[in-house]
Amino acid sequence: MRLSSIAEAWNTFFFEPQSPVPIALFRIIYGSLVIATLVLLYPDWLAWYGTHAWVSLQTMQHVERGTRLNLFTIIPPSDHWLEALFWLFLGSAIFLTLGFLTRLNTVIVFLCLTSTQQRNLYITHGGDTFLRVAGFFLMFAPAGAALSIDRLIRVWRRKENGGARAFSPWAQRMIQIELALVYFAAFCSKAQGSSWVDGTALYYVYHLDEIRRFPVPSWFLHPIILKLGTWLALLLEFSLAILIWVSELRYYLLTLGLLFHLCLEYSLNLPLFEWDVLSAYVLFIDAADLGRAGKWILGAVRAHLGEAPPIVKDGQTVLCRLIATLPDVVGVFRRLSR
Amino acid sequence: MPARTRSVRKRTFGLAKARVAAINVFLIFHILSVACWCIPLANPLVAAGRNFVRPYLLWSGLFQSWDMFSPSPKSINSYVEAIILYKDGSTQNWAFPRMDRLSLTQRHFKERYRKFVENLKEDTNSALWPDAARFLARANNRAPSSVRMVFLIRYWSNIVPRNDGEYTPAAWDTHVFYGYTVEADDLK
Repeated sequence: MRLSSIAEAWNTFFFEPQSPVPIALFRIIYGSLVIATLVLLYPDWLAWYGTHAWVSLQTMQHVERGTRLNLFTIIPPSDHWLEALFWLFLGSAIFLTLGFLTRLNTVIVFLCLTSTQQRNLYITHGGDTFLRVAGFFLMFAPAGAALSIDRLIRVWRRKENGGARAFSPWAQRMIQIELALVYFAAFCSKAQGSSWVDGTALYYVYHLDEIRRFPVPSWFLHPIILKLGTWLALLLEFSLAILIWVSELRYYLLTLGLLFHLCLEYSLNLPLFEWDVLSAYVLFIDAADLGRAGKWILGAVRAHLGEAPPIVKDGQTVLCRLIATLPDVVGVFRRLSR
Repeated sequence: MPARTRSVRKRTFGLAKARVAAINVFLIFHILSVACWCIPLANPLVAAGRNFVRPYLLWSGLFQSWDMFSPSPKSINSYVEAIILYKDGSTQNWAFPRMDRLSLTQRHFKERYRKFVENLKEDTNSALWPDAARFLARANNRAPSSVRMVFLIRYWSNIVPRNDGEYTPAAWDTHVFYGYTVEADDLK
């Protein structure tokens, strides 16, 4: 191996242009998860973040020292302002999901997300942490370059046509690396615990009342099965951190990881956690495969809806131009033809 | 090629190179600092690295730990309740939402309470107790007799593995871990 080949591999990995569709799809899932998080938080928004919250801002700053990005320290200490922050956050998350003013909204969503978590770190779970860290790198990604209102506007203004142009995927790679680090850190942390090594960890997990969701079959709770499950979970976390980078194994591991998280989603009550982590799986899927999957879904939709209605362009007015570009704009749905 | 065009090309290439170099520095720094922060290695070099990047990671929100159910899952079931003592001597029990007693929908909305209680009951988080007691005093204050004291109580039951895989819940233990005398200002 030569240094130049390492540099070449680095450059290919981080800078070789690729389709922005995976990061755009991630943006949509990410935005939806932020919206879901906010909807679930809304009833207790002021109880957690208000001027008379469970934990005061002063206590939080005293316990968690250090200078931090936190909007709560600069907005006026009034519940009206804190309510306004909620609506700003929600509105921005909706715009981010739709891909409108995408770059600006990635920044607003990240600032609001990190601020709410800094305001009360004692109600934050791993899924929130993942959204926060992924949100940081999403700010640098071409998240609005595809599947977005921003792109539709560019097409309508004739600044773009055809497929979305390729971009350096370095920000997307950072989110992928972050996911791999999550699994690797979780693996290392568990490997230091005696119950993970002796195989009893899952016995405790499945007897914690507070996180039990739907009943699991009794055979699953047999000591031998729980032992195997404990060790398999360790093996899978290690594989999802390291072997995920081997392209021949990637889709098998993603499938196993998906099944693993769906099993946890069924049996353990950790709202949104599994989906927060799974959201980044889409970044490991090749854009061409995503395209094929999209075509297959659209084909099924078209077959269900029947032939597309034609559009007739009869003038050069703004309205006519707008209508004439509709097939490009909503082209993804293939529901209109000239 | 005209000299002006060459100069523009050189400047553009120079800018692109500088941009790529800046991105490379950004990537290397962030990969190393995040890895150093979150991978639990007891190594003096890693510890020094953590100290070095700590201010930046705390500021930027990139700090993280991935220790769910690790190094070992909790081996107890637990919950927290409060007793509110009023000035007229009467008392009222107040319970934090317990996930195992909520519907599926309620559990989604009240999940934050599970996480909060998980932290609140730890002695290492005693700095949170006065705030929590004040919150409870305000939430449960009632005329004509206002709240005089708030007590926080921890309940726990050990999870004891059996060789045959069966599970019998152990008896619950109780401990009043905090008492707070409410002042008039706390109720405003």
